[in-house]
Amino acid sequence: MFSNKFFKFLRRFYKSNPAAIIGSFIVASMILLSVFAGAIAENDPTKRVARGHQPPSAELLLGSTRSGKDVFSQVLHGGKISLLVAFSAAAITTVIAVAVGVSAGYFGGRVDEILMSTTNIVLVFPQLPLLIIIAAFVGQVGPLVIALIIGLSSWAWGARVIRSQTMAVRNKEFVLAAEVMGESKLRIIFVEILPNLTSIVVGGAMGTCIYALMAEAGLEFLGLGDPTIITWGTMLFWAQSNSAFIVGAWWDMVVPGAAIAIFGGGLALLNMSIDQVANPKLKTGGYIKTWRRMKADVEARRAAA
Amino acid sequence: MSFILRRFAFYLVAILIAISFNFLIPRLMPGDPVDALFASAQGRMPLETLQAYKEMLGFVDGPLWVQYLQYMKSIFTWDLGPTIMLFPLPVTELLAVKLPWTLGLAGMSTVICVMIGLVIGTFAAYNRGGFTDRFMPAFWAFMGAMPQPVTALFLFFILALSWKWFPLSYGANPDLDPGWTLEYVSSVLHHAVLPILCMIIGGIGAWIFNMRNAMINVLGEDYITMARAKGLSNRRVMTHYAARNALLPVVTAVSMQVGFVMAGAIFIETVFNYPGVGLLLFKALAARDYPTMQACFLMIVVFVLVFNFIADLLNLWLDPRLRK
Repeated sequence: MFSNKFFKFLRRFYKSNPAAIIGSFIVASMILLSVFAGAIAENDPTKRVARGHQPPSAELLLGSTRSGKDVFSQVLHGGKISLLVAFSAAAITTVIAVAVGVSAGYFGGRVDEILMSTTNIVLVFPQLPLLIIIAAFVGQVGPLVIALIIGLSSWAWGARVIRSQTMAVRNKEFVLAAEVMGESKLRIIFVEILPNLTSIVVGGAMGTCIYALMAEAGLEFLGLGDPTIITWGTMLFWAQSNSAFIVGAWWDMVVPGAAIAIFGGGLALLNMSIDQVANPKLKTGGYIKTWRRMKADVEARRAAA
Repeated sequence: MSFILRRFAFYLVAILIAISFNFLIPRLMPGDPVDALFASAQGRMPLETLQAYKEMLGFVDGPLWVQYLQYMKSIFTWDLGPTIMLFPLPVTELLAVKLPWTLGLAGMSTVICVMIGLVIGTFAAYNRGGFTDRFMPAFWAFMGAMPQPVTALFLFFILALSWKWFPLSYGANPDLDPGWTLEYVSSVLHHAVLPILCMIIGGIGAWIFNMRNAMINVLGEDYITMARAKGLSNRRVMTHYAARNALLPVVTAVSMQVGFVMAGAIFIETVFNYPGVGLLLFKALAARDYPTMQACFLMIVVFVLVFNFIADLLNLWLDPRLRK
């Protein structure tokens, strides 16, 4: 029963939606590649396997770094940590955003006022500069701390969106009915309201994922991360500090850069498609063209008659 | 009027919080910048010098609230202490030199993003299912998800390093004398092209996307049907009826992203070695120059808040309902 419904949903989601298909393919394959990094790449990412800055060849698929490490192996292993940071930051953000947004939207009144004025202030602060300053004072931060700082500082936009959606759902008949029936507030929130916010929450989580991926890469690129841990960001940092481009070792820089760009782009495409599920009006696709053609046909026939 | 006052009060509170935050971070962290400086001098610094440094950087002895008031006073008298990396140059003087470069980049790229983004977004929504509608939002969302350092590095590699279309670094040709000569101005513009292009790639997606979605929502309204029924031209309905109303949520949503543009400036200026606030912040990070770092941060916050305030004023102009 459930699986049937789920497949139906999937079919509707992917039908004539190339953005969703490409996005899912990119995200899924990147996750698989980094999860099975150890099995795919035979070289240890931290071991010296060749001379420095060897161009890509049959043996070293993506060349070697300046210190002679295998770039292919590094990008797979680095992906593991980069993705972990992005996903855990998104998880933290989503939990806070849902908690703040739903309570502000559902309870209203004083709670709403306090939560929303806090949210608005957090919202106008430029987050990335804030992250940079905090990271600079903390010293070199590891991936875990980066995920924490990003997660704790970037929930405001999501909270606001979720709040307004909660307020819209809150006044629907089925919520009123549940209230009249005497359901507990907790049950109303979790069973009646939250399922109606799914697409917004998931979309928000993906947006945060993209942002966290960028923020992590940015922080590490500036040298604020722990340079001994291999991630996409620290790979960029090492490539930049060894001026890889200037000495002609473009692969050292392009590979991690492309990995981040492609994964972020895949998430963005998925995010766009989820937006269209949340609001079918936004949908784009072949069916609009079909509809137009039919309309033109009808009009032509009318004109002829 | 009360709307403006309310927003103004809100931003005032936000700035006070930013300043307090700036005051608190170094005091919450283990060790302070002066200790770090002392450590890096490896004992070659006499204690009196250390004391002098502390006073200069605002680390006066006394209870926290005295320090706080002292700090507030120094901020409002526009005295942010000396830099550490270019001692004894005051931070404010350094910022004054760097700020115009960054503001130029951010301003130009925002104007271009607004113009192109709104036109594409409006057009996409008005021609649903067409090429623009199907391709543009997805493509620019994809491009916008690229981290700024990556975009900057790729453009740098392809357009500046390999094809040599654009210079590799600096804000203008260092051999030229700064001034309002044609040669110098064109050199400045030439140097600004790539950084601005990076900012546009990072920012334009949000404008297109938000504008398209807002337009689609507005186009379903009754007053659009009404305007069409009146027999108004397509273009007039599109610009005067739909776009103007669709612009409201877009202005709010995108003004939130200015912080993002400013953060992008840090990476972009680092890659292109562009002499703005972003590069200054990067150098300050590398040199552990805390006063400069904090001043840059404060500058960015103030800029973002001012921009948000401008967006509010813009909303006021666009939406007569707020004027009551």
